[in-house]
Amino acid sequence: MRVLGVLALALALSTGAASARPSADPGISASEIVIGGTVPLSGIAASYASVGRGAEAYFKYVNARGGVNRRKITYKYVDDQYNPAQTVQAVRQLVQQDRVFAIFNSLGTEHNLSVRSFLNATKVPQLFVGSGATTFGRDYKRYPYTIGFLPSYIGEGKVYARQILKTKPNAKIAVLVQNDDYGKDLLAGFKAGLGAKRKNLVAEQSYDALSTDVSSQIARLRSSRATVLLLITTPPFAIRGLVAANRLGWRPQVYVNQVGSATNIMRIISATANPRIIEGAITLISIKDPLMPRFKNDAGMKLYRTIMRQQLPRGDVNDGFHVYSMAVAYTFVEALKKAGRSPTRASLVRAVANLNLRNNPFLLPGVVVKTSSTDHFPLDQGQLQRWSKNQWNPLGKIVSAKP
Amino acid sequence: MADVLQQVVSGIASGGVYALLALALVLIYRSTGVVNFAQGEMAMFSTFVCWELLDRGLPYWVAFFLTLAISFVGGVLIERLVIHTVSRSQALTVVTVTIGLLILLNGAAAWIWKGEQRTLENPFPSDTFDVGGVVIAAQDLGIIGVSLAIVLVLWAFFQRTRVGLALRAAALNPASSRLHGVRVSWMLALGWGLAAVLGAVAGILVAPTQGSFDQNLMLPVLIFAFAAAVLGGLDSPIGAVVGGVVLGVVLNLVGAYIDFFADLRLPAALLLILGILLLRPNGLFGRSVVKRV
Amino acid sequence: MTAFRYALRVFGFVLFVAIVVYLPFRISDFRASEFALIGIYFIAILGLNVLTGYTGVISLGHGAFMALGAYTTAILVADHGMRDLWTIPLAGLLAAAAGAAFGLPALRLSGPYLALTTFGVAVATPIVIKKFDGLTGGSGGINLFEAEGITGLPEFIVTLPGGKVLSFNDWLYYLAWTIALVLFAVAWAIHHSHFGRSLRAIRDNEIAAAASGVWLASHKTLAFSISAFYAGVAGSLLAIWAFSVQPGAFPVDRSIALLVGLAVGGLGSLAPLAAGAAFLVFLPQLAQGISKAPGVPAVIYGAVLIALMIVLPMGVGGLLRWITGPLTSRLYPRS
Repeated sequence: MRVLGVLALALALSTGAASARPSADPGISASEIVIGGTVPLSGIAASYASVGRGAEAYFKYVNARGGVNRRKITYKYVDDQYNPAQTVQAVRQLVQQDRVFAIFNSLGTEHNLSVRSFLNATKVPQLFVGSGATTFGRDYKRYPYTIGFLPSYIGEGKVYARQILKTKPNAKIAVLVQNDDYGKDLLAGFKAGLGAKRKNLVAEQSYDALSTDVSSQIARLRSSRATVLLLITTPPFAIRGLVAANRLGWRPQVYVNQVGSATNIMRIISATANPRIIEGAITLISIKDPLMPRFKNDAGMKLYRTIMRQQLPRGDVNDGFHVYSMAVAYTFVEALKKAGRSPTRASLVRAVANLNLRNNPFLLPGVVVKTSSTDHFPLDQGQLQRWSKNQWNPLGKIVSAKP
Repeated sequence: MADVLQQVVSGIASGGVYALLALALVLIYRSTGVVNFAQGEMAMFSTFVCWELLDRGLPYWVAFFLTLAISFVGGVLIERLVIHTVSRSQALTVVTVTIGLLILLNGAAAWIWKGEQRTLENPFPSDTFDVGGVVIAAQDLGIIGVSLAIVLVLWAFFQRTRVGLALRAAALNPASSRLHGVRVSWMLALGWGLAAVLGAVAGILVAPTQGSFDQNLMLPVLIFAFAAAVLGGLDSPIGAVVGGVVLGVVLNLVGAYIDFFADLRLPAALLLILGILLLRPNGLFGRSVVKRV
Repeated sequence: MTAFRYALRVFGFVLFVAIVVYLPFRISDFRASEFALIGIYFIAILGLNVLTGYTGVISLGHGAFMALGAYTTAILVADHGMRDLWTIPLAGLLAAAAGAAFGLPALRLSGPYLALTTFGVAVATPIVIKKFDGLTGGSGGINLFEAEGITGLPEFIVTLPGGKVLSFNDWLYYLAWTIALVLFAVAWAIHHSHFGRSLRAIRDNEIAAAASGVWLASHKTLAFSISAFYAGVAGSLLAIWAFSVQPGAFPVDRSIALLVGLAVGGLGSLAPLAAGAAFLVFLPQLAQGISKAPGVPAVIYGAVLIALMIVLPMGVGGLLRWITGPLTSRLYPRS
């Protein structure tokens, strides 16, 4: 008897009828192109929700000005709670139920890995993956429908290694690193960049994202007598690491990876730890930071603030993820323009692998988004920055961050 | 040697953080018999309330005590409106409701305060002392001091006041307490209110140790606070503090000096706790409950 | 049980099976995948019910047994070329063994201590998986998509005589629900066996049960082991369903979700637990359908869960019992 109620419920929930299978690529009509992606909107990584919302705001702005070839861009981003199994579920929904044209801007290394084979087997483009894991740009022969966006972590690690070897060739180096693929990738690049000077790396400590603090790791790193500290950490752990270092009175030359070096994060460290601990800190940046004073009157950042005001009034203008996601969305729009008047999935993938964009308004001046049939790293340039006077200041020219 | 001592000192400091929240868990378990999964999120929410009050320009201590008052009312309301309505159900229902509260409060904080990183003033001096190469921070001493003070206050409250006695009685044997004139249901609300106050103290003191905080401030802390409370004994305030400190120190020493466990700090600590529980099933300081058939 | 009620139950079960078989003909391809997931959760929740529903032991660690099952399947399929189907029982057995190994000592602990110890196991699981990356593939996990032993890849299409096209989603659906129905029948048999009655005696009064000759340790350990078996099978199916495993797929939330599904379905019920599984899959979707503002889906999810527990403290199963039970039990509710 009691099973009946359950069955009634199950039937009530399953009213979605099978949809007809169109002949052309799904998700595109004369007036609309529908793309989708996964972003954590809830759970421990909910702060990254801005990555979805910023891109959505940019598309709304483009749509308000007529769209691309009179097509409006509809961007369906779905919560995956930053759980790769949920990503699988959400992407199946987007591809099989919502019939999106492409997956775009999904966040997370494991999360994109969990659906990469599926998307390539079903020939759905997996565009501008929100992860710097090198595999997304490197393994294009096996996964032609997948392309990353961020500078690869390996490339970023090499840039730091080169800078250290240039300025302090004999300094002892300590590293604090997150215990996952992102951390391992960046550390591997850093070690490769050190080359023969690998022995300069005297101490490595890892942490799990579920830790409350890293003071124990920092104390261990300090006791190695290193004078350079590289933080391969997300923002909360960059803050905790430097707060702990400051308490121990340790003053190494700090390097912070791009993931954790937004201006608002650095200002928190400056305010809660000590301005001196990050004075002279170095990072690699490719994207404009909303809190950089030198971009106050920059046309790109004015555009950014206008879009935020019009399309996302409740969003935090100082959140760099918004700028990042607009940079990605801008790149998508430009690729879509190049994919022909009636884009297909295949033509879009070809266009994405044939970009040469010099004017992305959200990237640092001089940073070029360039891809080719053999280069699937759209963003492989950046500029080292040095922290002083409570802001990042450019250090040298635009450098290559190729893996 | 100084390195090892430094690990011990920083372990004690982390232990103080775990202990603060563990104390709130112990208080609510002792006075209502509920393992409250929302305790961490209640503390986090109070921390945001304090931040908001400070942001609106209130002096620190005014904001601090106002937050405690608001938290007390909030705790009482949660008990009256939510927990009370399911209190006669099976344990699973009550646990599920606290899980629902956890999810709801985390979401509400993300919604109201937009998930940005915030900073909270440190009420303790930011001095550090160098004792023979070992650095000790005044903030850590302050946190340990506050948790020990809370233990004393709780002891006095439960052992020396009529309300405290009534609280314990209401949790242990509601039916006969009611016959003795204890207003059991209000005692449970009081227990939630007090636990919310302790949680607020924990949040406000813990947030500055992290440099910054967002709505996820207490999720990892809750894990360690549970471990600390279980280790010390779920019904023992002093056990919560000792459990927290032992946990903090062991985590640091094991993680720092046994390479195999460097990435396995938390699992190693849990193994230790399981081992101790097998010897002492009610934790280091907990009392076993004698059941009547 | 009277003959009439017995016949009613058999009829109910047959109807349940019929609807499970027929459902893919009514729903879209994607929904089949979604209902497969519900079947997988249903299995895990049925297993948790054997433990929590019958012995009163609350486990917050069953996500760990799911992870063990999932990795067993993934490693056997990806590294040892086994066919996915054969790994499912192995995954269950390994999880059962782990359940016994953990349960034997841990069941000495009393309620909240045991619950929080299992919580610790759930928290530690992803960290341990990441540590042994040679075996587990680290945080990126194991991709099964290109493994030979996977039966239902996206190319999997069978056209039935009636014209119905069976896609890989339908395959996953039937796989999950066939196993779910078998394990459902097993759970039903346990419920009505001598063993099941002994377990309920333990739940209702441990001391009295012991006094009447129930050997607590062996019964509880066996219950723990059986429930871990269910979780292991569910985990194995999850790996096959997702074509991959990652430590991030088994956060502590996963274990908590199973408990939530059990509470919503109704502790001690059987078929209504499927409603709990459906809740886990559909409510997050409904919540973000209402609003995607930061935090709001979580507020909705939490609020609905709390409201549901207030309205239906015994879950959907409790409601059905109330509806279908004799009038007298409505007037004089037994606690």
